Amino acid sequence: MSVPTTLRCLVRPSVSRHVPRQVAAVVWAAPFSTSSSLAANPPKKKAGTQVASIRSGKKMQLGKFKKKAPGGRTGKAPLPGERKSVRKRIQLSNSNALPVQGLAELTPEYMADKRNAGTVVSLPGTVQDQLRVVEAFKPTQYWGMFRNPSMLVRAETVDLMSRMQQSAEKKQTLKLVVSGDRITGKSMLLLQGMAHGLLNDWIVINIPEAQELTTASTEYAPIPGTNPVQYMQNNYALKLVQAVRKANEKLLTRLTTAYSHPELPQNIPINSTLMQLANSAKEADGAWFVFHALWQELMAKGQGRPPILFTLDGLQHIMKVSDYRSAAFNPIHSHDLALVRLFTDCLAGSYQFPAGGAVLAATSRGNAPRTPSMELALSQREAEQTGAEPPKHDPFSRDYDTRVEASLKNVQVMKVSGVSKLEARAVMEYWAASGLLRKTVDEATVTEKWTVGGHGVLGEMERASLLTMRP
Amino acid sequence: MASAVNSLRLCLRTTRQLQCLRVAQLQPPRSRRTLSTTPIRWAEKDSAEDEGDEEQTKNYSDFGNALVDLQRDRKYTEEERKQFSQDLQLWEALTPAERDGMTARIKSIKAATAPLKRPATKKKNSFWNEEEHDTDLITNEVGEDDFEEDDIVSLGHGKLEEHREHREYARLAVWEMPLLSKFAKKFEPPTQDEVLRFRFTSYMGEFHPADRKVVVEFCPTDLKVLTEAQQLKLKKLAGSRYNPEKDLVRVSCERYEHQAQNKRYLGDLVDKMITMAKDPTDMFEDIPLDTRHHIFKAKPKFPVEWRMNEERRAELEDQRKKALLLDESKRMNGTLVDGVRSIQEAFVTFPEPVASLQPAAARKGTSRSGKSQARVMR
Repeated sequence: MSVPTTLRCLVRPSVSRHVPRQVAAVVWAAPFSTSSSLAANPPKKKAGTQVASIRSGKKMQLGKFKKKAPGGRTGKAPLPGERKSVRKRIQLSNSNALPVQGLAELTPEYMADKRNAGTVVSLPGTVQDQLRVVEAFKPTQYWGMFRNPSMLVRAETVDLMSRMQQSAEKKQTLKLVVSGDRITGKSMLLLQGMAHGLLNDWIVINIPEAQELTTASTEYAPIPGTNPVQYMQNNYALKLVQAVRKANEKLLTRLTTAYSHPELPQNIPINSTLMQLANSAKEADGAWFVFHALWQELMAKGQGRPPILFTLDGLQHIMKVSDYRSAAFNPIHSHDLALVRLFTDCLAGSYQFPAGGAVLAATSRGNAPRTPSMELALSQREAEQTGAEPPKHDPFSRDYDTRVEASLKNVQVMKVSGVSKLEARAVMEYWAASGLLRKTVDEATVTEKWTVGGHGVLGEMERASLLTMRP
Repeated sequence: MASAVNSLRLCLRTTRQLQCLRVAQLQPPRSRRTLSTTPIRWAEKDSAEDEGDEEQTKNYSDFGNALVDLQRDRKYTEEERKQFSQDLQLWEALTPAERDGMTARIKSIKAATAPLKRPATKKKNSFWNEEEHDTDLITNEVGEDDFEEDDIVSLGHGKLEEHREHREYARLAVWEMPLLSKFAKKFEPPTQDEVLRFRFTSYMGEFHPADRKVVVEFCPTDLKVLTEAQQLKLKKLAGSRYNPEKDLVRVSCERYEHQAQNKRYLGDLVDKMITMAKDPTDMFEDIPLDTRHHIFKAKPKFPVEWRMNEERRAELEDQRKKALLLDESKRMNGTLVDGVRSIQEAFVTFPEPVASLQPAAARKGTSRSGKSQARVMR
């Protein structure tokens, strides 16, 4: 049975013919070719019809700081010191302002005269130059708005000048601290004192910014042979000696030396002029010793020395621990800096000026560190002057400094506040005559500005009336 | 032979090429119809089983017949059947009237208990069995809140209740409060010896965690037993409990459970402080009185000199008059300075309309040499 079926399978063809084979209709391109393919170009996008993506133009910012876009600010960067010189520039004249006629010119006796209180007085050219040399003008003051530098003689000015004159007459030293609120005219009062001194043939020494001495911005070095160690600041001393020399040239050429100064590199024989001594400070090295020698000469008794005015602005800065460090990296107290020590000793009354004189210091309110000891000492002196109960130490406070209190034991305090309405009227008339205040200066205007300026605070009054005119 | 041919056939088959379009026709498994209109007819049961069931559910009209059947039934034991025969004898001893009565009684019991025997079925369209009787309710609450036009509204009832309360307190105030005056005591200010002032707190009998607290206040300068130095020492001992502005020492205690205990403690404490203040071994002279805990608040007061009175008014009037006079006299003299006019006059006196076009040096020269006509000062 199985044989025929098995044989039949031999007969049957293994491949049926009636089924057509599927042939691939794909035309193959060469799998590898060096010639570029000739495909049709993609259709061009139609302008306008394309919708912008939501995130177009936006980018995720991964870093904290953005990269600056290329381009930006072009042009030359200011040279080193250029910005500072612009900031510190003192302009004393404005040719666009009207010259004010009939202003009195400052004379030696003018500011000490009671009758001259409440007037505006102009500074003579020589005094302007001298004041500029000792840096009495401040860039924050409004000198640059007027034709000529002029100033208001106020009641406090008369008071201070008469005190200075009295002390010079009695050959005593006036030790006075000018304190008061912001922009009430403390630095201006110092300037007036200096002008008075320069006109009256006083030797004027001015430290315009006390912070320059203590904020570790000028070089310092220990003075050899001092115990406890004191520090000299030669660069600053050079600047100071030169300022003293230029401002007091006339006096210094007249005065002669009384001591020989072997510590100086240059030999200055006795009876040579003080000008020669001051001129020996040509470079920073040894400038402190030249200043010290000059100081010793000025202190020499029986040599016909003139009265001396020693002023400093920004008293708070020298009534604290300075930013300098000793070799052992301990903070240096400001009173261990020789120049500061000299000033504080004068303020404390350690030096007897041969022909009398004055030591004036002004506090600062705009830029000043807190000095609880100085504040307390000044308020105590003030209370003593008025006969009130002087305030006491806070027994649980650690901020007090005995050295500061010792230096301010014997000072007088002059509190400066707003000017009176008559004084305000005088100064406003000066503004109007200079063409800077376009108003009739009558009682209504004066009262308005006086009130807006916090009851006659001069700086505030200037802000209220002149600031729109400021360059 | 056959095996040889077969193996040959298998060899050929392995070399054979398969046809592309040959598809095996797979037969789906036979299944029942999924949908049908005719009912399913189950196989019938045996008839013998049906008859047995019928016998068991037979109803008897006479109780005696049932007993006879039970007596014969082989399912029961011998003892049970004997019991059934005894019951039958008792049944037959009864009169027909008694039998009828008994049958009727059994029927009535069956009828009464029939609903109890019926199994409890859940109602189909019930919502949380709402219609079911609640046995926990005392009254049948149906229709209780319906307003039947015979009462005032509940707000009115509330108002009436308020009136009643007021009247109750009014009665108390009129009739009973005057009787309290019998207990009134006259205020006696504390004497010089009574320097301690205690403060207690009552919450009217309610329990409160602060009701045990007692505070004592005293002024150290009132303690006449102490010298001045001792008083100062006492203030220093009191520390932050001393108020320098009011000159008072204030100490509180709530350490113990009862007010009396706390008060006792405070009294002892003050005694102890006084004895320590009197102790001369260390008078704390080197320690200043510490007031850092206290903030001195300055209360600004209207200055007396600012008060407006006739004098001040006259003074101000005088000042204004003087100022106006000054203005007027300056105007008459022509010394009143006007900023605008001084600028205009300067334009007249310095005819420099093209000042900005001139070279700087030349401009300077002219301005210096030009005669100024600006207002004269003073």
